[in-house]
Amino acid sequence: MSAFLAVLSRELRAYFYSPMAYVILACIQAYNGATFSYIVWVLSGPGAGGSATPLRIFFAPHFFFWLFLFVVVAVLTMRLIAEELRSGTIEPLMTSPVSEAQVVLGKYVAAFVFFLFLWAPTLVFVLIMGRWSEVDWGPIASGYLGIVGIGAVFMAVGIFGSSLSKSQIVAAILTFAMLTFFFFVSIAHDLATDETAKEIINHMNLMQHMDDFGKGIVDTRRLVYYVSTSALFLFFTSLALAAKKWR
Amino acid sequence: MIEAHGLTRRYGEFTAVRGISFSVSDGEILGMLGPNGAGKTTTIRMITGFLPPTSGQVTVNGHDLFNEPSRARREIGYLPETVALYGEMRVHEYLAYRTRLEGMSRAAAREAMPRTIRSCLLEDVEHQIIGTLSKGYRQRVGLAAAILHGPRVLVLDEPTVGLDPKQIIAIRELIRELGQERTLLISTHILPEVEQLCHRVLIIDRGRIVAEGTPQELRAQAQGSSIVAITVQGAPAGAVEALGRIPGVESVETVEAEADGDLRLRIESAPGEDSREAVFRAAVEHGWVLLELVERRESLEDIFVRLTGRDADAEEPEAEDSEEPEAEDSEEPISGDETSEGDQP
Repeated sequence: MSAFLAVLSRELRAYFYSPMAYVILACIQAYNGATFSYIVWVLSGPGAGGSATPLRIFFAPHFFFWLFLFVVVAVLTMRLIAEELRSGTIEPLMTSPVSEAQVVLGKYVAAFVFFLFLWAPTLVFVLIMGRWSEVDWGPIASGYLGIVGIGAVFMAVGIFGSSLSKSQIVAAILTFAMLTFFFFVSIAHDLATDETAKEIINHMNLMQHMDDFGKGIVDTRRLVYYVSTSALFLFFTSLALAAKKWR
Repeated sequence: MIEAHGLTRRYGEFTAVRGISFSVSDGEILGMLGPNGAGKTTTIRMITGFLPPTSGQVTVNGHDLFNEPSRARREIGYLPETVALYGEMRVHEYLAYRTRLEGMSRAAAREAMPRTIRSCLLEDVEHQIIGTLSKGYRQRVGLAAAILHGPRVLVLDEPTVGLDPKQIIAIRELIRELGQERTLLISTHILPEVEQLCHRVLIIDRGRIVAEGTPQELRAQAQGSSIVAITVQGAPAGAVEALGRIPGVESVETVEAEADGDLRLRIESAPGEDSREAVFRAAVEHGWVLLELVERRESLEDIFVRLTGRDADAEEPEAEDSEEPEAEDSEEPISGDETSEGDQP
């Protein structure tokens, strides 16, 4: 436990000490802020109406948002293990009495906390909406739940990508490639004609999930899916780290 | 206490270490010597649990490294060959991080940190960012991290590399002090360091132990044969044969044929024999002009060079022939820069 906490706090510190993190933070804030302002501007204009609320639209982002998110995840996680492999700090780390699982979990939780930190400023949007309009809190909570769940999966994929290479660039590309699988799932869902296949694909279609979360639909099967997928990728990461020795 | 049995490590086709066995007991400082690429770092990595051996076994204070990795690793303090540190951390932050990785209690850490910082001469840079430190300071931060948790077994890969002479003396003093009640394994290529520090020496070449003993034993062993080096002007024919006929002479080797045409020979005689007079008489008899006649005592350096002498081009030679003498005039200390060993696949 002590080793896990040590790794976690070191990684968190490394995030907050690195300029890259603030660049990403600034970019994602600019993007979210612009999107939110635009949504509010359109909805408050003439002719808008219906049941749409700004936050509901905000939490059902489009393809470009996902693309941007993939890049952010790849860049945030690429450093985690690849940097230790490259610089050699992996040697004093793995010869101390810690297990691969402790190292992987510590790093993962740090990355995940930073990911949540990136979203924290969007709470301002919620405050603004709460101040100036009627807000249905349920869908907002479920929207954030979706972000947390999907973030957990993405960061786990990212740390796995980082464990596959000494090069951070290669790690980022691998992570990005693995994440585009979720794009593919979404396309496959649209193209599938067989109902059973559509059903199965839908379980993996994170974009559809996010749409539902934004509407306030919380399906526990999806939460189980996120937790188990994250756990699977973390397990792969531990294996990859252990396997480094055996070559 | 470290016990290694039949350690072997292969990287694909290449065998870096072939069946090395040795043990280091408490209170003993064992020095590991060897040229670049001899397998020192690979051996050390297997002992510290960073690399699993292809075959063989390591126990540290009775804990098998493979079956009880955490227990065994807790016993070891390790300074890797390339001291890799987190550049963005401050020295005291890094050391505090290490105490947590090692699972030390807060009280123990509070007690150990200032003591270690003092003994590794780090007071001046305690609050500096590691990325801004010079190589000598980084080396000492690495050493501090290795001894911080008071391990009973210390494994130091090139501990004094990159230090200035004054620091080297201080760190050697520290190592000697640490070695009094601990088990110490040091890899180095600085021979005076071995003679000053180590109780016992292993010379490793091509993944095998080629010699083992106390520095005195190794020197005595080599001093057995007496060696005379001569230079004869003009390289007269038949000189090697004529000298070989001198009673007591065991071998005559050509050291190098210089461009100036002089002949340099290395004449090895049986222990206790002094062939200088006979060599001189032979020269007079044949009318050779002797430009040089020196008796050579073998130092640890000579032994090292002789045992590990190898063709620079021979990538994967058979280790059986490692005894082949190479009578290089070994004035240069064997302290070339050994930086590339860590880049093995």
